Amino acid sequence: MVDASQHELVPDHVLLEDSEIDSVLEEYGLSRTDLPKIKRNDPALPDDATPGDVIKIVRDSRTTDTATSYRLVIE
Amino acid sequence: MQTPKQLGGIRFGLMDPETYRDLSATKVITADTYDDDGYPIDMGLMDPRLGVIDPGLECRTCGQHSGSCPGHFGHIELAAPVIHVGFTTLMRRLLRSTCRECGRLTLDEMQMEEYRDQQERADELGKDPDTVLKAAVREARKAGTCPHCGEPQADIKHEKPTTYYEVENVLASEYSEVIASAMQPDADDEEDEGISPSELADQTGISLERINQILGGEFRPLDEDRRALEKALDVDLTEEDMNKLMPSDIRDWFEDIPDSDIEVLGIDAENSRPEWMIMTVLPVPPVTARPSITLDNGQRSEDDLTHKLVDIIRINQRFMENREAGAPQLIIEDLWELLQYHVTTFVDNEISGTPPARHRSGRPLKTLSQRLKGKEGRFRGSLSGKRVNFSARTVISPDPTLSLNEVGIPDRVASEMTITINVTERNTEEARQYVANGPEQHPGANYVKRPDGRRLKVTPKNCEELATKIEAGWEVNRHLVDGDIVIFNRQPSLHRMSIMAHEVVVMPYKTFRLNTVVCPPYNADFDGDEMNLHALQTEEARAEARVLMRVQEQILSPRFGENIIGAIQDHISGTYLLTNDNPDFTETQALDLLRATRVDELPDPDGENETGPYWTGRTVFSLLLPDGLNLEFTSSTGGDVVIEDGNLIEGTIDEDAVGAFGGEIVDTIVKQYSETRARVFINEVAALAMRAIMHFGFSIGIDDESIPPVADEQVDEAIDSAYDRIEELIDTYENGDLESLPGRTVDETLEMKIMQTLGKARDSAGEIADDHFSDDNPAVVMARSGARGSMLNLTQMAGCVGQQAVRGERINRGYEDRTLAHYEENDLSAEAHGFVENSYRSGLTPREFFFHAMGGREGLVDTAVRTSKSGYLQRRLINALSELEVQYDGTVRDTSDTVVQFEFGEDGTSPVRVSSDDDFDVDVEGITDRVLEAEFDDAADKEAFIGRREPPTNLSEHTEPRFEEVESDD
Repeated sequence: MVDASQHELVPDHVLLEDSEIDSVLEEYGLSRTDLPKIKRNDPALPDDATPGDVIKIVRDSRTTDTATSYRLVIE
Repeated sequence: MQTPKQLGGIRFGLMDPETYRDLSATKVITADTYDDDGYPIDMGLMDPRLGVIDPGLECRTCGQHSGSCPGHFGHIELAAPVIHVGFTTLMRRLLRSTCRECGRLTLDEMQMEEYRDQQERADELGKDPDTVLKAAVREARKAGTCPHCGEPQADIKHEKPTTYYEVENVLASEYSEVIASAMQPDADDEEDEGISPSELADQTGISLERINQILGGEFRPLDEDRRALEKALDVDLTEEDMNKLMPSDIRDWFEDIPDSDIEVLGIDAENSRPEWMIMTVLPVPPVTARPSITLDNGQRSEDDLTHKLVDIIRINQRFMENREAGAPQLIIEDLWELLQYHVTTFVDNEISGTPPARHRSGRPLKTLSQRLKGKEGRFRGSLSGKRVNFSARTVISPDPTLSLNEVGIPDRVASEMTITINVTERNTEEARQYVANGPEQHPGANYVKRPDGRRLKVTPKNCEELATKIEAGWEVNRHLVDGDIVIFNRQPSLHRMSIMAHEVVVMPYKTFRLNTVVCPPYNADFDGDEMNLHALQTEEARAEARVLMRVQEQILSPRFGENIIGAIQDHISGTYLLTNDNPDFTETQALDLLRATRVDELPDPDGENETGPYWTGRTVFSLLLPDGLNLEFTSSTGGDVVIEDGNLIEGTIDEDAVGAFGGEIVDTIVKQYSETRARVFINEVAALAMRAIMHFGFSIGIDDESIPPVADEQVDEAIDSAYDRIEELIDTYENGDLESLPGRTVDETLEMKIMQTLGKARDSAGEIADDHFSDDNPAVVMARSGARGSMLNLTQMAGCVGQQAVRGERINRGYEDRTLAHYEENDLSAEAHGFVENSYRSGLTPREFFFHAMGGREGLVDTAVRTSKSGYLQRRLINALSELEVQYDGTVRDTSDTVVQFEFGEDGTSPVRVSSDDDFDVDVEGITDRVLEAEFDDAADKEAFIGRREPPTNLSEHTEPRFEEVESDD
């Protein structure tokens, strides 16, 4: 099987620590469920991600070097 | 004056029949509307307590008059409960997932807990609770017996729209015959000796006496006995029994479902008890929702809803009479079904499988659902979009003397459309003057409003007197005058530049006039196009329009980040002629070229010749460029364009330089200078180009596309040699010697090679024609400069039209094995498959004409299909994205505050504020320098900071020039 998360076009998906999650939610004034969602079975996710976790995604961007977004892992 | 109220929230749910009764102004019992004297009948469908529609009457419920009385609901007590069609799917689901005996959800506690959790999670994530409901119902349906009371569950069959059956397996009526025949020995099987009653009794454990009774049809074997017999004899003793569930049965069933079980399914039992889906009381809409109209002949004509209600009441009455008279069950059931039909069509008259209720004329009735649904329905037709006042529509025509910010408005429109001004101490005199002019003289007024709210019409007779009364606090509806801001729009409004704000210029005649450079954003031409105009009514609206919507603010398109407004067509031919050969102009000529611009002084002449001092075309053009502009780019006309410090040093100004859709100079001026400077530039380029093209003279006729006979012969030769090569190809193909290209069949290879050869033939014909055109040929000038047309168009006019294609292939359709009856079957030659060797100028042969029409038709069909497809696609996109909004923290969120993007577009930049090309970076250093300088605390710098001139804001063309960065233009 090809590991999709290692593909060069798939940006890094990093699990966030609880404290980091809190600071992100604080920054944007969000509750966890207001975040964009990602399915647990998404091949880009790290293996130890479980529903309820928050993933940080850092994409390359043409205009700003990197663009960061966050997603809530759901079933 | 009513105080505005703030909505705390909206709750959707089912309505309790008791609430209907409480809300009802009256019970309706008679199907009649008015008596012989024309008075509404008490407790009839037009009962005065249901509201008033006739002027002068008083509402018996609220005491208000028609217009202010909102109307009041009544109710009909239904003789028997009926199903509400809107809930049939939910009812089916509930019937299938709950116990027929105890009404509980057929899930055990564990499962219920699981679905309750899922429901909660769906709520948190903003997902559709319906998906959880569906999953729970699917699970509950699997239960054969109720886990709470042990009752076996029957399958529910739903016959659309409103009939439900319980399907049960019951003992077949001919059970004894089935058993007896199964006990007989099988005729085809010699070893099978059958089974005797006593053996059967042993196997099943039923007493022999019973077996005999069963065989005699005297005892019905139920449950265990039946199953034992079936097992022993390997037969099926059951048959399906359909038991119709009457609405009253369903209502009783639903009443048994406990609240806690409903909540597992995501239904709020507090507000929506399932038994309320079966109606026992029918609300009667107020008369204001179904007004009757009086026809010319004095006859009253009732609304469709009233007609439907009459039907319902009649059947309801008959139902009650029949039941009281003790009519047979069959008749009662028929009437019940009829009542159900009428109530169903009252709610929705477009249910599949039900014949729609019709008017006497045969027209289907427009009932409740039809009022809401679809394009003309309440939502899309009356709430999202409606007709507006202060709007005008007429044909558009061009006026190159207007600024691109302006719109010419016919005087008769200007004196019909008004703008409301609030009279204050400072504008009393002005307002009085408008009123004094009256409604007929142009800058006049049509209405005034007194401080007490009374509106007075200004007439030629009362205007003088009225003008003296005007004081602060009044409102005057004055005519549109020059400089007013209005909104201008052309449908289809596909992008934001389809609606822009213009400044009014009142003009004679009957059309709206606009500058030709704003045609691209509106996609307008003047072959009969009409446009809409809206006069803005509040000061805020006018300010917003001026700042955000004015044409000059829309020069850059957010679609591709470059200018969408710029020179078009003749403007481009004009600048091309002016700059391509860089011709010389005398002083008179040069000043004439610039007469419509703000330039009134020429620089030092470029030189002197026999006629005196001269100025070159590029110098004249340079006068329009802002000082300090440095730009270098390659134009597609050929050659580099070099602009240094606002002077065109070298190069030809063509579409790539000043055109709409990304003209480099225009784009740079908007981004480096300002919208106002760009507006001035575009206006002046258009004006200069028109002068230039008139100076040189520019026309085109059929002779401009003719080529000398020598060239014609060369074209013929080229085409003939292509024919020869094709003949060779066909020969090799027919001999079977043609080698196929990789991945293609031999037939495909042949087609490809023929297409290639013919394509080359056309190109070489084009080249030959091209060689014989001089550089000053008008068609060539237009094609090169990008003003209109291409070299391909020229080739087709002068050389050869070329291969016609349908679906990207040579024409292969028509008759059996041939395209037209003029050819032999299986003719593979070029002319038999739509090659047009003539040019448009020489004319097509009839056969070529047919092929050409076939190819042309495909183009027409394509555009027709594309517009409708893309229109629907756009509607869906707009509906999906319309609620997204960029918040002040830079995130993009929807209405439920869910984040869609953490930074707009991932970089938080506007597409029109960034460089449109990798070659031209935005001058970041210049910007940082400016910012640093502004931040300095140094005294000298601070002085500079205070003395800094504010950048120009969005000011009218008509304000005083001291505010403008540039002096003036048009």
